[in-house]
Amino acid sequence: MLFLRYYLWLVPHVLLGIVVIVSLRKRLYQTLPAFFAFAVFQLVQFLVLFTVTKFVTPSSIHIYVWLLTCGALIGVLLQLAVLYELVRTVILSRTSLQRVLRLLFAFALAILVLASAATSGSLRDVGRERIMNGFETLDFSNNLVLAGMLVVILLFSRALNISWRSRATGVALGFGTSACIGLAAAAVRSGLGESAFVGVDVMQMAAFHVSVVIWIVYLFLPDRTPAFAGSGLAKSEIQFWEQELQRMTGQ
Amino acid sequence: MILASVIVVLAFLALFLILHVVKGHHATGRDLDQLASRLQAVDVDAFRNLIDEREEEYLREHLPQREFRGIQRERKLAAIEYIRCASANAAILIRLAEAAREDPDSAVAQAAEKLFDNALRVRLYSFRVVPRLYAGLLFPGASLVPADLADTYDTVTRQVVMLGLQYPTRGMSAAL
Repeated sequence: MLFLRYYLWLVPHVLLGIVVIVSLRKRLYQTLPAFFAFAVFQLVQFLVLFTVTKFVTPSSIHIYVWLLTCGALIGVLLQLAVLYELVRTVILSRTSLQRVLRLLFAFALAILVLASAATSGSLRDVGRERIMNGFETLDFSNNLVLAGMLVVILLFSRALNISWRSRATGVALGFGTSACIGLAAAAVRSGLGESAFVGVDVMQMAAFHVSVVIWIVYLFLPDRTPAFAGSGLAKSEIQFWEQELQRMTGQ
Repeated sequence: MILASVIVVLAFLALFLILHVVKGHHATGRDLDQLASRLQAVDVDAFRNLIDEREEEYLREHLPQREFRGIQRERKLAAIEYIRCASANAAILIRLAEAAREDPDSAVAQAAEKLFDNALRVRLYSFRVVPRLYAGLLFPGASLVPADLADTYDTVTRQVVMLGLQYPTRGMSAAL
């Protein structure tokens, strides 16, 4: 079990390092800067926490938990930035209806924040320490908002029939997987208490591992929109269109 | 524990939904001919007539109350059907515009840009209007449909024709 935990802690971050390097080479920081910043931040946070674990003792564990919580807070802000980036890239940048759509997404976000506040308040505390409970609440709320917003964005673009570029799809799928499993894990941890800590931790780390693999796969795939097939306009069709135009405009 | 179980179920449902929608996005590249064949005819004038307030007022004044309600109900159901058709067409036109936007000819790309915007507008309107029309079935007296829906759809139709002069839209305006 210890090996598995170390594997799930180290390997996804090594893979995330590959994501950062490939993103630099493919200039992803220009198209998806928030995602790039998130990946870099996750790496830095991992390096800091990994170093701290080498020096921390049971009496100073609160330093680790504080660092974890502060990191999670910054992570939440960066993930919200990634969400906005996805909405902007996939939907807002492609239409002049930005004001209406931005309002719609802001409304969905407000509903989800309210829902996360209500449900996280109803969940049982996982430990005796306030900072640990604070971290759990933050983690749960973040996953709820992230998963909810991704469902909203994906369903909305599906309803409007807007296609996604493959790289944005990969980013959304990665975050969606990690957020949904993280949400389930946080609920299990709240339901079962401290006895489920290790199992739930493994579940969350495995979800993050899957997410990083998804990001790597989509990074190596060409970034394209779905292809369309079809032949050109024939002369008879052009004549038809001309007649149609005259009919429509009444000329 | 019950709340935790509900959240676990909802989380997995959300994951399933995300996977399903992403899978759908991968399968969305289509043959333009196949898209064109899915377009349905929409008579914009007939739709305008169905949501015209003056027409409604006229019927209200000249028909017995019971008959007026029955007719209004039929008119609203017909309007819903028209909007559904227009919305389905708009969804196809969004894809057509997306394909045309990649065209190297800037005139085609610009026309596609406008078409994309207006098709999106029709689609958004339809999401807003259909529930209002259903509400109108419950409250027959209330006027619930914005008149600009028909205008926007008309604009979209014209833009398809404009685009069709420059780009292979494969018989789409005929269906519109």
